[in-house]
Amino acid sequence: MTKRLPWIIKYRPKKVADVINQDQAKKTFLQWLESWLRGKPSKKAALLYGPAGCGKTSLVEAAARENGLEVVEMNASDFRRKQDIERIAKIAATQRSLFARGKIILLDEVDGISGMADRGAVDAILHLIETTRYPVVMTANNPWDQKLRPLREVSLMIPFKRLSERDVVIALKKICSSEKIECDEKALREIAKRSEGDLRSAINDLQAIAEGYGRVTLELVRMLSTYRNRQYAPFEALKNLFNAKYIFQAKNAVSQADIDYETMMIWINEHIPTYYDDPEEIWRAYEALSRADVYLGRIKKTGAWSLLSYVFEMMGPGVAFARKIYRYRWKAFRSPQRLQLLAQTKRSREIREGIARALAPALLTSRHRVKTDVIPFIKIIFERNPKYAARLAIGYGLTEEMIKWLAGPSAREVLQYYRRYKK
Amino acid sequence: MSSNKVLAELLWAEKYRPRSLDEIVNQEEIVSRLKKFVQEKNMPHLLFAGPPGTGKTTAAHCLAHDLYGENYRQYMLELNASDERGIDVIRSKVKEFARTKIPGNIPFKIVLLDEADNMTSDAQQALRRLMEMYTATTRFILIANYPSKIIEPIQSRCAVFRFTPLKKEDVIARLKWIADQEKVEYDIEALEAIYELSEGDMRRAINILQAAAAIGKVTVDAVYKVVGLAHPREVRQMINLALSGNFTEARNKLRQLMINYGLSGVDVIKQIHREVFSQEIKIPDEYRIIIADLAGEIQFRLVEGADDEIQLNAFLARLAFIGKKLKV
Repeated sequence: MTKRLPWIIKYRPKKVADVINQDQAKKTFLQWLESWLRGKPSKKAALLYGPAGCGKTSLVEAAARENGLEVVEMNASDFRRKQDIERIAKIAATQRSLFARGKIILLDEVDGISGMADRGAVDAILHLIETTRYPVVMTANNPWDQKLRPLREVSLMIPFKRLSERDVVIALKKICSSEKIECDEKALREIAKRSEGDLRSAINDLQAIAEGYGRVTLELVRMLSTYRNRQYAPFEALKNLFNAKYIFQAKNAVSQADIDYETMMIWINEHIPTYYDDPEEIWRAYEALSRADVYLGRIKKTGAWSLLSYVFEMMGPGVAFARKIYRYRWKAFRSPQRLQLLAQTKRSREIREGIARALAPALLTSRHRVKTDVIPFIKIIFERNPKYAARLAIGYGLTEEMIKWLAGPSAREVLQYYRRYKK
Repeated sequence: MSSNKVLAELLWAEKYRPRSLDEIVNQEEIVSRLKKFVQEKNMPHLLFAGPPGTGKTTAAHCLAHDLYGENYRQYMLELNASDERGIDVIRSKVKEFARTKIPGNIPFKIVLLDEADNMTSDAQQALRRLMEMYTATTRFILIANYPSKIIEPIQSRCAVFRFTPLKKEDVIARLKWIADQEKVEYDIEALEAIYELSEGDMRRAINILQAAAAIGKVTVDAVYKVVGLAHPREVRQMINLALSGNFTEARNKLRQLMINYGLSGVDVIKQIHREVFSQEIKIPDEYRIIIADLAGEIQFRLVEGADDEIQLNAFLARLAFIGKKLKV
């Protein structure tokens, strides 16, 4: 299996100039960064905010690269752990040695904190900003939460605008030409329209279609878009789950998915070995999913709905953080084989159920016991002794379909006797 | 039509099942107590407890037969907790049944609830209320493998009958008798092998005998062959695949077992448990203990959880992880 690099990583902006259509934000940010490098920042922190996929993190990374700075990144899930905040704060507060590279401290998606209702995290970040010797950059989709107010007050607020359809189309075209794929202009415009300015999701869609079909046409995009509403939703949720950087994202991926959590569980059950290769990761992920299922079982049996949160935590973050290292994982769409198998074997299972129904009352036992304890022996008789099998079939009024199912390779012979005896 | 009747054949487990209490050869003490109920034309609620294949359900049918005569089944509602979907279905069936006519000379009808220990304790509470509600016109016979899984308030309302495992000589005598009736050739060692393999479960013993007889003379080899054929080989293959680190293939085998053979999660884990101690699975002995412990944990979670495949996948994933450690 070749591991293809996700395009959103492959085509991440290398230079500040590559960041599309955020001229005002770029200018403000670069001026602020320069004031830091000269040692006299107006504000010690900057808060970059704007819709998803408009280039916030990309700008920070590109600017760091151009200025030879190292990005020290901390994610929202770490904000809760005091020692992690202290670890970063210590790095931030340490005077830069003569030969070491300069740094940018990046606190990604700080709006995740409000979701965790953690007041202490905001204080810890404020302390970090107070003592830091390096520029602190925060990003957020929505910085206007009440809890983030103290952070807003100490930060230079830099708004990013939503990308226009045209911006997105231009970016997609570039990718198409360097990947040498045939792309219909109308198709790209459709992808851009549906992305609502989120370049990341637009690139993901482009890759999904291009790698699935080898070309990108309007028809395929439209198909994917209707597909997405119904069948694509689980795939989307899985992608969000396995690529969640932070606990809250992993939990949202399962609790706010467009599909119900039981369906979600079937999908996770299917795709743990798709997203993970390492046996330890697979085991840890299944262990978490198993715990989620136990909580779900208890809910079903006792009606204790207050346990639902544990279900989400185990099947979301529990599965996502089974990984040993974070890397972006991108897998092609495939619906659960278990569901396909159930659909394919439906008729066969109905026949077996019919046989169990015919035999259970006569044998004074459950249909389940007939299926597991009795049918295996009957199958032996049907395969090995067609004459006798035909007499049993008459004794229990089995249908020809049931006989075929039981006799397998000997079906023809059993049916011959059966028809003869029945006359 | 008449030739049909002659040609029609039944499974021996049904054909040679006792029809009346007089025909039951073992469980003497239980049978004599049950006969008293027939004489008195009255009985309390009953709880029959004991291992599978020891004659609990048969005894209940014999009792009903002796009370009501040949057409006893119209006066008995037969339910199986593992087939009925929840207490609501059971409740509505009992309600419906209680409405029908009572036989002339016996003042009650019988509700037979098999595998009652498969019910949750909440469902059992609801069952207890049902038993009280219809006690004027019905008697319940509850059947369970594990009486301790029946809640105390139900146990205290029932006369409890404990069925003991069948003795080896009883099982072999019965198999001999059936074989003679059917004019089947057999080696006596083969019947002993059947007893060992059936673990005292009479129905299973008879099924093995019938399948072996369908192939030819009942020999020890034939018996083992039949039992081997009846056991899905996928269980062992699945364990070995997982241990070799191939989780996805092991999962495919699991799906075959559950979907094609209709095994429940508990069925699968029990067979796994059996295999783990067989020498066909080549692992150091200390790992057998670790895996058995894990199987026990997963069996517990299967009962607690909602989705059998997820629990068994967790088992296989752990096995694959252990397998990786064994290799290095």
